[in-house]
Amino acid sequence: MRAAMAAAEVDDDVLGADPTARRFEAEMAALMGKEAALFVPSGTMANLVSVLVHCDVRGSEVILGDNSHIHIYENGGISTIGGVHPRTVANNPDGTMDVDRIVAAIRNPGGELLYPTTRLICLENTHANCGGKCLSVEYTDKVGEIAKSHGLKLHIDGARIFNASVALGVPVDRLVKAADSVSVCISKGLGAPVGSVIVGSKAFIHKAKILRKALGGGMRQIGVLCAAAHLAVRDNVGKLADDHRRAKALAEGLKKIKQFKVDSASVETNMVFFDIMDPRISPDKLCQILEQRNVLTMKASSKSIRFVLHYQISDSDVQHALTCVEKAVEELLKGSTKFEHLTNGTTKSSYGH
Amino acid sequence: MRAAMAAADVDDDVRGVDPTAHRFQAEMAALMGKEAALFVPSGTMGNLISVLVHCDVRGSEAILGDNSHIHLYENGGISTIGGVHPRAVRNNPDGTMDVDEIVAAIRHPDLHCPTTRLICLENTHGNSGGRCLSVEYTDKIGEIARSHGLKLHIDGARIFNASVALGVPVDRLVKAADSVSVCLSKGLGAPIGSVIVGSKVFIDKAKILRKTLGGGMRQVGVLCAAAHVAVRDTVGKLADDHRKAKSLADGLNKIGQFAVDSATVQTNMVFLDIVDSRISSDKLCQVLKKHNVLANPSSFTSVRLVLHYQISDNDVQYALTCFEKAVEELLLGGTRLESLVDGTTENLMGTSQI
Repeated sequence: MRAAMAAAEVDDDVLGADPTARRFEAEMAALMGKEAALFVPSGTMANLVSVLVHCDVRGSEVILGDNSHIHIYENGGISTIGGVHPRTVANNPDGTMDVDRIVAAIRNPGGELLYPTTRLICLENTHANCGGKCLSVEYTDKVGEIAKSHGLKLHIDGARIFNASVALGVPVDRLVKAADSVSVCISKGLGAPVGSVIVGSKAFIHKAKILRKALGGGMRQIGVLCAAAHLAVRDNVGKLADDHRRAKALAEGLKKIKQFKVDSASVETNMVFFDIMDPRISPDKLCQILEQRNVLTMKASSKSIRFVLHYQISDSDVQHALTCVEKAVEELLKGSTKFEHLTNGTTKSSYGH
Repeated sequence: MRAAMAAADVDDDVRGVDPTAHRFQAEMAALMGKEAALFVPSGTMGNLISVLVHCDVRGSEAILGDNSHIHLYENGGISTIGGVHPRAVRNNPDGTMDVDEIVAAIRHPDLHCPTTRLICLENTHGNSGGRCLSVEYTDKIGEIARSHGLKLHIDGARIFNASVALGVPVDRLVKAADSVSVCLSKGLGAPIGSVIVGSKVFIDKAKILRKTLGGGMRQVGVLCAAAHVAVRDTVGKLADDHRKAKSLADGLNKIGQFAVDSATVQTNMVFLDIVDSRISSDKLCQVLKKHNVLANPSSFTSVRLVLHYQISDNDVQYALTCFEKAVEELLLGGTRLESLVDGTTENLMGTSQI
């Protein structure tokens, strides 16, 4: 990947002249079954641009999950930056929203004196906060039908859409066929250093390009980054099935630890969430000890932890991690480890909070 | 530069752990005499973040030049994205704004008025021909800002050109500013990016806004490695760009159909006026392009030329020859040019001449 970046043919992408960017964007559009694609610096920008282009008229509303990444982890940008109003609908544990609740959330045009205008529905596949769960192609198509019949657009936050495609055994273009736009992360499990891609119609991508520039995402010689992204898609999508297999193995191993509760049936892709049932073990402290042993995890809530697998984690790494977790649990139950404490008694997560 | 990028030590910059980004940002902060720095994907984002952080309260107004890059070429983002109202003050041909016009534009508390929070300068001033704002002028505006409780932001996309041309160390040049945006991807030659510099408090807020706008990139060390090489190796070459610009200007002045005000050629830009009405700027640029000389029309009757370190003295001579040939071709009327249906031709940014 580094070699490809070093050898990449580049030019000024703001002038539309970077050949590597063009090639990569054309490749992604074809792969996802859409007319055009646009490389952006991050998934946040991909979602922000998508929502704002679909909702470019002031007074717009978008329907999305109450536990979705766009709603929770993107600084509320669709509102604070884009002036779009969010209408949340409850996310089920499997990442879906009930179809009838989505329909109920669509604003009645008769109430336009009081209501914003619904223009967009957003889905997230795989659904991160729900454990990396997949939305089926049937569910996606169903929501797409609803969108169409109400004159709305459908955007899929597909940061990990390839994981969904692999886990479901559905070609990615078929999976997102019902969507007007999709955002795809290249810098997560696919392993590129930077970036995401938005795909959609030519008209949509044309507007997205301008908004990308307005937000400050118009970069110059991005062939360097697109060369890496190309390799990520070419070489690493094929490795995702192994990440899923290892996630299941990890989940099975964690299940054997009696202080934990793991719903291994719910491990569909490359994420494992587990609950800590013993109050003597706090997620912060567990993560700290594991970090000391080079096993990096994230606290997901006051009593749960998230593991994410990627292709650079091998089968023996998974075994090693399980051993570390077992040892960490022992230490915490014996109460024998020293930690750094902040003055208010909490410990910092890797995002600094 | 490619080797540095390939060898860069990287990690996740969103979690604040990319060592190359850390090192580069610290280096830029020190160089510019500010507390902290932040790498961003573009100059547009550098300016957008700066304006929005200084003007984070709804109902803000920013004073800036009517011929400034922020006002003309950044999609009006400070307003359409940031909700900040612009108050444009006339730019003089030298890139400055009259001090008394700036003061007159500062709002007094009033039921009818937004609140002025910021003054923006641009150094070098792109549309004025790459002209430099002096350190005295910058300090003066800084005083005015301070005495009125305002912040001062400098769009310093080409601040190093100004520093070199004026012979003023860059940190001294921007001392009066609360924030500066600096481009690495222009004459300094990095593939991507700009840097914002300012106080720690300012940069902390800038980091969050950068994430919000979607500029939080992961293993950005790849790009910061290139940026580091750009600053280390290319700032020292800017003086030659300036010298070549002057010699290009002198050469162009010898061509009767052109006029260049050489006194205004201060850095790496030459604006050439076409004084023969038979020659239009976009046709001239089209013919030049065929000879591999890339230039941009800046109006119906003027063309902008920008020098950088990969353009040699020989290249400058070659370009002058191409200009002479182009003039001949256009006057003889022997060249076929593509025209759009409405009779205009497209310039490099893909927009038609209005």
